[in-house]
Amino acid sequence: MELFNENSKLASVILKDYSLLPVINRLGIQLGFGDKTIRNICGENGIDLNFFVETINVFHYEAYFPEKRLLDFPVKIVIDYLVKTHQYYVNYLMPENDRLIELFLSANPEESTENELVRKFYAKFKEEFVIHINFEESVMFPYILELNRVIENLDSSMQFRQKYPDYSISGFEKEHSHLDDKMDDLKNIIIKYLPPNYDQNRGNAFLSNLFLFEKDLKNHSRIEDHILIPKVKQLEMVLQSHE
Amino acid sequence: MNNSPNKSIVLISQSDVILTGLTEILKGSIAGEIIQLHRGDEIIDFPELTGNFLVIANPEELEKSTSLIRQILPVTGSVQFLALVFDSNAATSISLNDSSALICYKVNEILNSFASNQAKDADTELTRREIEVLQLLTKGYSNKEIADHLFVSTHTVISHRKNISEKTGIKSASGLTMYAILKKIIDVSDINPEELI
Ligand SMILES: [Fe+2]
Ligand SMILES: [Fe+2]
Repeated sequence: MELFNENSKLASVILKDYSLLPVINRLGIQLGFGDKTIRNICGENGIDLNFFVETINVFHYEAYFPEKRLLDFPVKIVIDYLVKTHQYYVNYLMPENDRLIELFLSANPEESTENELVRKFYAKFKEEFVIHINFEESVMFPYILELNRVIENLDSSMQFRQKYPDYSISGFEKEHSHLDDKMDDLKNIIIKYLPPNYDQNRGNAFLSNLFLFEKDLKNHSRIEDHILIPKVKQLEMVLQSHE
Repeated sequence: MNNSPNKSIVLISQSDVILTGLTEILKGSIAGEIIQLHRGDEIIDFPELTGNFLVIANPEELEKSTSLIRQILPVTGSVQFLALVFDSNAATSISLNDSSALICYKVNEILNSFASNQAKDADTELTRREIEVLQLLTKGYSNKEIADHLFVSTHTVISHRKNISEKTGIKSASGLTMYAILKKIIDVSDINPEELI
């Protein structure tokens, strides 16, 4: 395992680990970056160099998670990254999952009971996922950004307190384990328990996309649970100490 | 997630020449992953490492970081240490003058000594009791209701559920319902799929 650094050429990073492609997109980089180093690309695009390097390393290598340094990044940068990740899920990965699972199931119309079960289960998983993301975007993130604004501008917390009388991030923390469980279950059902006469290539295509999704989501949830939430707890303490 | 515990080598040296050189020598002929650190305490950035570890560092660094590394590395596997010295013929250390083949040999000796927990084909057949629990579960019964129904404690039901999930790999209630139907443990007509899946 080799961690990437600011002098690594982005092209060779991607050649080593192509699963980073959507990650660099989210960080604001499009294909066609020639032989530039990460440092130069970040400079040209106004991207926080340290955040870029740590984010791709954390994604590249699951065991690597420099919590202390990650906690130093501003809340805004972290939320921006998380929101772009949500967009990637909602606009691309989920529709792609929908398409691939339908392709897989519809090739075997005679297995109607099995197909119905898998469709229902998948629909439930998706519904839960969408609710989760919507909650974060419409309730949790706005709360965090506003809290952050109050502290940055040294604003009076009065207005904020009126708007969020008894809000604290502990009330918002949503478990990620249910989503993870459902995703695992879906994988296991398809890998272990469906009758073997399904189209294997279509099954593989769906599963590959699901594995991609799983890896990405695991990383995403880890940033929320171990970086965002602890940061917000710090901010809430700062606010309290101002009062 | 992964059944066979992995083996990792943690290289610690201030010198990039040593880190890069050793990595280059080892990477082709060992089965483990290589982590490079400049100082022992940087291991804190790798909180999710699991499995067995071989730590290679110079004697001073080993002495400094042994207890720290034991604290931080997970207890899921064993940790071994190998000193990296400038010149020695001892079998218990590697020397900068050793040939690549010898270094790989010494490292592999230790890696091979890690007990390989070969994943067995675990027994995944559900017992009769577990099947009963699963059937009641798919009817929407709570743990308490299942316990009352089977004249056992809630605690027992919870442990059955845990075993069922371990054996099947399915954790959610709706996933278990789907499993039970696919395995013909229950019939679709027995349940209300709208509600349970
Ligand atoms: Fe999220
Ligand atoms: Fe989340």
